[in-house]
Amino acid sequence: MKNILKLTRRFVGVLLLSSILVFVLNLAVLATLTSKYAQNGHPWETAQKAAENIKNTENGYVLSDEIMKILEQEQAWAVYIDNRTLQVVWKTDSLPEGVPLSYSASSIANLTRGYMDGYPTFTGESEDGLMVLGYPKESFWKLMWPSWDYNFIAGFPKILLCVLAVNITLFFFIYMIANSRLLKSVRPITNGIQSLPTEEPVHVKEKGLLSELAASINRTSEILQEQKMQIRKKETARANWIAGVSHDIRTPLSMVMGYADQLKEDASLTEEERRKASVIVKQSERMKNLINDLNLSSKLEYNMQPIHSSKENLVSIARTVVVDFINMDIDDRHPIEWETDKSISVCMINADKDLIKRAISNLIQNSINHNENGCHIFVKVTKSDNACSVAVSDDGVGVTDDELKQLESAPHYMLCDENTTEQRHGLGLLIVKQIALSHGGQTIISRGSHGGFSVELRLPLSGFH
Amino acid sequence: MNDEFLKRKRILLVDDEQELLDMVVSILETEGFCNLVTAKSVKEALEAVEHGAPELAVLDVMLPDGDGFSLMERLKEKGEYPVLFLTARGEDEDKFRGFGLGADDYIVKPFLPKELIFRILAILRRSYKDENPLVRLAGSEIDFERAEVIKEGEHLALTAKEYDILSALYRNAGRIVTIDSLCEAAWGDNPYGYENSLMAHIRRIREKIEANPSRPVSLITVKGLGYKLIVERV
Repeated sequence: MKNILKLTRRFVGVLLLSSILVFVLNLAVLATLTSKYAQNGHPWETAQKAAENIKNTENGYVLSDEIMKILEQEQAWAVYIDNRTLQVVWKTDSLPEGVPLSYSASSIANLTRGYMDGYPTFTGESEDGLMVLGYPKESFWKLMWPSWDYNFIAGFPKILLCVLAVNITLFFFIYMIANSRLLKSVRPITNGIQSLPTEEPVHVKEKGLLSELAASINRTSEILQEQKMQIRKKETARANWIAGVSHDIRTPLSMVMGYADQLKEDASLTEEERRKASVIVKQSERMKNLINDLNLSSKLEYNMQPIHSSKENLVSIARTVVVDFINMDIDDRHPIEWETDKSISVCMINADKDLIKRAISNLIQNSINHNENGCHIFVKVTKSDNACSVAVSDDGVGVTDDELKQLESAPHYMLCDENTTEQRHGLGLLIVKQIALSHGGQTIISRGSHGGFSVELRLPLSGFH
Repeated sequence: MNDEFLKRKRILLVDDEQELLDMVVSILETEGFCNLVTAKSVKEALEAVEHGAPELAVLDVMLPDGDGFSLMERLKEKGEYPVLFLTARGEDEDKFRGFGLGADDYIVKPFLPKELIFRILAILRRSYKDENPLVRLAGSEIDFERAEVIKEGEHLALTAKEYDILSALYRNAGRIVTIDSLCEAAWGDNPYGYENSLMAHIRRIREKIEANPSRPVSLITVKGLGYKLIVERV
């Protein structure tokens, strides 16, 4: 809408400016033309001069050479009429036939303001006579008897301005009427273009002056929608593919895991054989985590994981995860310590309980995976004014500064098409990041206070206390 | 803990993969379960039920001639017994659907044998009372039937809250139960802010069950996390 107003203002401005310009231009042209045609157009003056310059000498009347030359140039003839006798007492040689040599009062009156035999005549007075100049036929258009109303002439500038104003208004209305159709068809087009980036389907009526434009906007929108759908389809296919593969792996993996676990406990096997079986169990558990992570990660990535948010106590969630790990702990090499301050027993967040559980257990699992020789794991929930955090730290092998930097910036193989040799971090941490993001929170990776590795999952506090 | 009577319960196992069935049977038999029936399809499962209703059904979700959820509905028409789902489908909606229909628990493949056994025993313990309901602790015995503790020949009655807390601990005997779960067991759905009350109740329970309440051996505190009930094996 704003744009249309701007457009109209601009158009009208240009229109007014150009009409003023045209007006001025016209005036200029008129002035030039007038001056051109009027440069030798002072017959009254010439006649007056001739009247003043005629001299009564002994040889009769004589006109000065200067005036004679002018007359010759203008191809004019002249006669001099005596006041008393009304007879022509002097005439030029070029006097055409038919011009009378004696006059009456009425014919004098006639030629003073008009024509003589078709020749435009001009008169000039001298002491004892009347100089009459006759110009070639059709050289002047003489307005006879002009009589203008006084007020008309006196108010002429005002009238001129009024006319100008009326003209401009008229111009404006004509323009508006002529352009209202254009504007009408421009409006839906601009609306259409403006709503294209919203990714919503756009349909503009393909009518009016700009129907072709409207059609291409519609086409563009269709293409955008089509592409969006294609991308969505591809993403869905990819996520479904991952879901399908991870589903199909689950049953065979169950058997690997189940039998290996039985062999691990089988007293009839040697120590070495049972150790091997326990490695199979451990590795198949890693595969299980990987499958779960891969599936969830792809769903989070393509926004296919529904987030069932409700008010949850982060302390309680963290406690449950820690207890599950302790209850399931197979070896005693990764003891988990609960470091949360006693005073914090409730810390409400708006979250999907299962996803947050998943994030915390991924962090604990991460510490276990990276410290095969064992380490202490510390879980601590802290509360600030607007956020609630759960930090999982360990005193294990830890990371160097460079590795820390890489962890922060390294792309993940799911998010990067190029085959780089750069180190990429595992799915475990990526999921924690994705979950934090989907809850409006963040992850902070550091070395922690226990010398190993530490990840803090910080989530915004819910309004509930 | 006396689980022997639970291991005699008739368990129906349904999965379309014979090899998985074999493995589950092997896991359960190793653990001492002795009354197992297997089926590979909805049809076989319904036939098996004809010969005698099971006391627990362990069902796969995807079966060649139907799905586990509708199988559960049909099984439940014939008798009331707990159902545990064992499935490769870990999707949320399946989980909700399963519990909404009355499934008692849900295990996503792959799983460790001890997880399966723990879940099966937990369900059975919840559903079937021991013929001999005495639970032996280091310094006393709990009679859940009468809601009392027998210590050195003395009968000490349990209050309702103490009973709730002790049964939640007993159902998960040997494992840590979080403070939150215990509060939920005693005070219901909105269990925040009862931690101090819980501590008071735990103290009173210890006075009843422990030989030396200030040095507990049966009801162990796991600092900051929860409590654990240690039950003597019979």
